[in-house]
Amino acid sequence: MLDNLMLGFQTALTPENLFWCFVGVFVGTVIGVLPGLGSTTGVAVLLPLTLAFEPVTALIMLAGIYYGSQYGGTITSVLISTPGEAASVVTTLDGYQMARRGRAGAALSIAAIGSFVAAIISLLLLILLAPPFAEFALRFGPPEMMAVMVLGLATIISFAGDNRVLGLLMALVGLLIACVGVDTGTGVARYTFDSIYLLSGIPFVEVMIGLFAVGEVLNQIHEGAARPIRAGFRELMITKADIMRSRGAILRGSFLGFAFGVLPGAGSTLASFMAYGIEKNVSKSKDEFGRGAIEGVAAPESANNAAANANFVPTLTLGIPGGATTAVLLGAFLMNGIRPGPLLFDEQPDLVWGLIASFFIGNVILLALNLPLAPVFAQILRVPYGYMYPLILLTSFVGAYSITNSMFSVWVVLVFGIIGYGMKRLDFPMAPLVLGLVLGPLFEKALVQTSALGDGSLAILLDRPIALTVLVLALLQVVAPTIFSRLLRDRRAAAAQESDLTPRR
Amino acid sequence: MKRIIRTTLTATAAVTLLAACGGAGGAEEGGDFSPRGDVTMLVPFAAGGGSDLAGRATAGALEAANGDLNVNVENKDGGSGAVGYAQFLGESGNGQYLLATETALLALPLGGTVDWTYEDFTPIMKIADDFTLMVAPQDAPYETCTDVVDAAKSERIVAGISGATGLDNVVFTLTEQQTGVEFDRVSFESGGELTAALLGDQIDIASLNPGEVIGQLESGDIKALCAYADERYEYDELKDIPTASEQGIDVSFAQFRGVLAPGGIDDAAKDYWVEQMEAAIETDEYTTYVEDNFLQPNTAAGDEFAAYLEDNNTKLQEVLDK
Repeated sequence: MLDNLMLGFQTALTPENLFWCFVGVFVGTVIGVLPGLGSTTGVAVLLPLTLAFEPVTALIMLAGIYYGSQYGGTITSVLISTPGEAASVVTTLDGYQMARRGRAGAALSIAAIGSFVAAIISLLLLILLAPPFAEFALRFGPPEMMAVMVLGLATIISFAGDNRVLGLLMALVGLLIACVGVDTGTGVARYTFDSIYLLSGIPFVEVMIGLFAVGEVLNQIHEGAARPIRAGFRELMITKADIMRSRGAILRGSFLGFAFGVLPGAGSTLASFMAYGIEKNVSKSKDEFGRGAIEGVAAPESANNAAANANFVPTLTLGIPGGATTAVLLGAFLMNGIRPGPLLFDEQPDLVWGLIASFFIGNVILLALNLPLAPVFAQILRVPYGYMYPLILLTSFVGAYSITNSMFSVWVVLVFGIIGYGMKRLDFPMAPLVLGLVLGPLFEKALVQTSALGDGSLAILLDRPIALTVLVLALLQVVAPTIFSRLLRDRRAAAAQESDLTPRR
Repeated sequence: MKRIIRTTLTATAAVTLLAACGGAGGAEEGGDFSPRGDVTMLVPFAAGGGSDLAGRATAGALEAANGDLNVNVENKDGGSGAVGYAQFLGESGNGQYLLATETALLALPLGGTVDWTYEDFTPIMKIADDFTLMVAPQDAPYETCTDVVDAAKSERIVAGISGATGLDNVVFTLTEQQTGVEFDRVSFESGGELTAALLGDQIDIASLNPGEVIGQLESGDIKALCAYADERYEYDELKDIPTASEQGIDVSFAQFRGVLAPGGIDDAAKDYWVEQMEAAIETDEYTTYVEDNFLQPNTAAGDEFAAYLEDNNTKLQEVLDK
């Protein structure tokens, strides 16, 4: 094990590989900052460029782009409420609120620290436990995945804010939007109105850019230009108290993210939503969530980074992609003449361990790059909004166009921008809608598969211990808060009664 | 205004190119054709997938065969290929455009989601066939495809497929028509998902391209029961796998890979590209691609490719109309 890792570091630390690792991480961060360009697009777009490299160098650079862009997406989520990809949607909830309060620097710093800690934890788990984890993940067939999706949908309760019914309705709207497109099982086109662009459904990255970035700009314009945030350099720095407060959130987020990342297909988005939901439930200061709680940034950022690394567990041990980006990376393996599969570790030890060692190095570079830069990035908010709005709109539309090279994406952004503006005016929660939209297709697929496996009946769920356990957890998640608060109220009432009685004695 | 700019640009490009090549390819006059400037190879699927590999390999082979050619690969994914094909439809008459095609060319129109057919494009060359293997988890109680068929007579066999118009669904349906048994289907979205489902014992059988499961075959986690091919593979890794017809199931169906030009191009352009592709399949780049992906180098140029498509389309229609 240690020999292998040493071998890996020998490979990863050659000047050439080190240089391209740095380039990958840096370019990745830039790509992540651009709205619309997430890790999947970034890796896909730059893949052809790396064909001239040695295979290991190419993969090191592409992997650098992958986790670099995860962090880049955080920067825009915090500063201008524009998530680069679905996994950083949750970060906008508290990250942007922190920025509006002049604490953008702290938000960015905790995201960098959380991501780093999560990366190290998940890499250690990857090195030590990848094969058993991969084995376990294989036991998650369609029924288990369906249960996981139900669990994911149940987290909506945590995001619904004060009005749960409204939150659930928004989630349903998200699920409905997710129904558009060709159904994978039978190939029937639903709600496509003969448009070829709708065949693959309404793309959620564009929806997110519209709802969050454009919607926010329109809303700001309506409210009258907000003042630029003039925070002193000192206020932009992260404090020791911030870190102490986020400790638990980062650790919980890391392990949760790893667990979800190992499951093929479930991925980082679900992990980040779940991590946020858990923090909100365990936190002592629940009220602060949604108004700039630093745990609300630390947890999802740690979770999505851990999940991104955990995606490599099935990818490297089985040759099965753990998520959309690792699927593209697997393509990169093939293009470099490397056949991924269970024998990869034995056949190409220097490549696999070199890649894993480069993850460590890449994450150190990311931390070294981003921690000092966090307050600097935060200075962007000093720019008067008169200049910021056009810039945000421009990058949103250009970013959207670049996803599929077509105007269709731009129209989606525009339409959802207006919808997002409407939702902001009416104070409708947006996170449940995004969660519904992301989980919708996954849930449907698992549901259809489960029903096919069970010969038309969902009773198969009852024969599967893992599925059943997860479903019970989902149920608990929905009812537990109500039961707890009722218990608490009863106890308080009882206490109050007692104290009422005391003076009379 | 736009048109003027475009004309000027094209003219400039043409002049530059003519100057550069010294008339190597000749101009448009006299029914001759040669591309002006860069050629685009459209891939209607995302980077990193099977079509992308094919498109890039073809582009590389074209460039290797003719140093004057510069072929840029452009990915345009969405709608299982429908978005890319639709854009290609809009390039009608444009001899500067090629598309890396495969079975989606026939499956999309048959699925009823698009309003064009394969006849709207100009077939240039079929570059390879990709057959499938019936595979099962290592500990499965069957050793051959016949075992599976026999088992299906008395018990439930769950076959994983990748969508209704997937090649795997086609070969399973053909097997059912041949033998009178029935398999239950569960739809997945990719070869990777199917492999995971096999490894996790979620499904009994699947039908995958050799390139998709070679890793698991070599590690012994998955076993091949038969090849849905006309002849046994010559590759060392695959040569011991009997064909389905050896086992008494007369089914063979391949996914093809090839190159299309847009519809409405003149004969000169078509002949030019057929000629270029004929040179391209003689290159090392082409051989490497075929061998790396365990394909069969069954090629068909121009009208032969068109005839193949017609035949294949009829077969596919019969299966899907069942």
